[in-house]
Amino acid sequence: MDAEKKYGLSSAIIMGLGGAIGFEIFVLLNYAYFDLAGPTMISALLFCGIINLLTMLSYSELSAALPEVGGEYTYTKAAFGGFISFMAGSLRWLASVFGGALAAVVFVEQLGVLFSVFAPSIQYLILANASILIVGLVVILLFLAIRGVEEATTFIVAAFLAIFIIFLAMSLNYSLTPRNIVPAASGGSLMRFFATSAYIFPMFVGMRALVAGAPKIKNPGRNIPAALMLTTVLLTVVYFFVAFVAVGVVDITEVGAGPLLNVAASKIMGDVGAILFAFAGIFASVSSVGTAMTVQSSILGGMSRDGYLPKALLSAHRRFGTRYIAIIASSLFVLFFGTSGAVEFLGYAASFGSLLVFALVNLSLIQLRRKMPRLDRPFKAPFYPLTPLAGIIMSVLLLSIPVVLRDVNAESALLSSLGMVAIVIVTYYLRMVKREVDFKRLRVAVGGVCFGAGATLILLAQVIAPPSLFIFMVLVGLVSIIAGLMNIIVSTRKID
Amino acid sequence: MKIRKVIAAVTGLAQEAIGLLSAVLTVMLFFDLLEVQTVFNLPPEFLPLYLLILVLFSLFSIASGVFLIREGRGRT
Repeated sequence: MDAEKKYGLSSAIIMGLGGAIGFEIFVLLNYAYFDLAGPTMISALLFCGIINLLTMLSYSELSAALPEVGGEYTYTKAAFGGFISFMAGSLRWLASVFGGALAAVVFVEQLGVLFSVFAPSIQYLILANASILIVGLVVILLFLAIRGVEEATTFIVAAFLAIFIIFLAMSLNYSLTPRNIVPAASGGSLMRFFATSAYIFPMFVGMRALVAGAPKIKNPGRNIPAALMLTTVLLTVVYFFVAFVAVGVVDITEVGAGPLLNVAASKIMGDVGAILFAFAGIFASVSSVGTAMTVQSSILGGMSRDGYLPKALLSAHRRFGTRYIAIIASSLFVLFFGTSGAVEFLGYAASFGSLLVFALVNLSLIQLRRKMPRLDRPFKAPFYPLTPLAGIIMSVLLLSIPVVLRDVNAESALLSSLGMVAIVIVTYYLRMVKREVDFKRLRVAVGGVCFGAGATLILLAQVIAPPSLFIFMVLVGLVSIIAGLMNIIVSTRKID
Repeated sequence: MKIRKVIAAVTGLAQEAIGLLSAVLTVMLFFDLLEVQTVFNLPPEFLPLYLLILVLFSLFSIASGVFLIREGRGRT
């Protein structure tokens, strides 16, 4: 691409739609409709659109004031510096990993749907060998990412919009069953409504591609906010009507019939619809896995350039010039989570990472208004500070309700995310703590935790361990106690 | 001092092994590889709790092991 080339408003909208319209609609609606909320999923989509709009107002102000490469990472760095920007970059990377893994699972699912039309026996083979197919897909896309293959965003957006318009137009001939799409005013119903919103939220977050492309856009102060607003409204309207039709033609009792959108397309458009939507799903998922790998390598590269991660991640391929080590590292994570095939878990995990990033972006807006009041802001978020505060509150609400509801997928996703965040924090301190005393304090803290864990393990072994595991647990506990003591004693001496 | 370094290195290596084993066990429990959830007779409602404990234990063991190995190699 020409380095000097700048895009106008229409290209910016296509960039936003290209990032947002993807495989998510083919997979996230299933669990949301059949298991979580039923027809009220449609109003959850509208609710997600509103939350997205609130945060996009913050994104608009920040991207117009700081139209540089890096998006969220740049904003949090300007607002808070060091640790918070590292967290924002890591969470964005995590969300992309989980999203890429989910896209790989959707690829196999849609491939199965496609073959169910022609040859059910092959569909069975595909579903039985899902892990092998996911490995194959990731490996092929890994090589393509290293070679630096670019995709045609405009074509993808046009194709998807055309498919959805045909789908909606043909549904006019179909008698839709009216459903109650407003959640009941009971606590349980509202909780499920919020949990659904949290689960389907990744359908909107891809719009950030527009912010990432801010340096390429002409007159960013005017075009980026306008493009973000228009993209959000357009996307919400399209999603709303597609989901409305799908819920109208597929009864909630048809839970085992296949993915909601594919079943709806099959009912409205016959085999042609089934094939068209399966192809769209395959195409979208392949494209999303490829994009996820590129995005992840770009995030890792940026964090490595700032010294947060090893410099090796910046290494460029001799022939293709791509950051191949970062791409390979990211692909391994996508592969690991993708082969799990745990759709609901991956959906929540991708959502949690994005929601946390959204909360941090809103916080950055507030901080920058206080820290740099004279910063040139071509666009200002209206109703400040209500808009960023509402964005933060909504993000936290969506993060917590599925866990309060005891959705086991949400709990697992949250715990896995917390585990990954703990690894991120330790990595940050190990990489960034330069002062000797701070390092010693970190060692004392880790030693203390190990000592406590070892002692607890030995006590627990007395109570709960079966005879076969008793000696093993005591040995592990002893090693932890000794290691903890050694870390504490050595480091405490040196702090003084 | 040399004995101390050897003890630090050995303890560090043992802790690294424990940390890695815990991490492998976490992954096996999470994906129910080799049906370990049934083998250990774990109630599904407590699975997230066990996973969290194992992840944290594994993380701190690996970090502590790294510190001790660094000490064993003469880098504190």
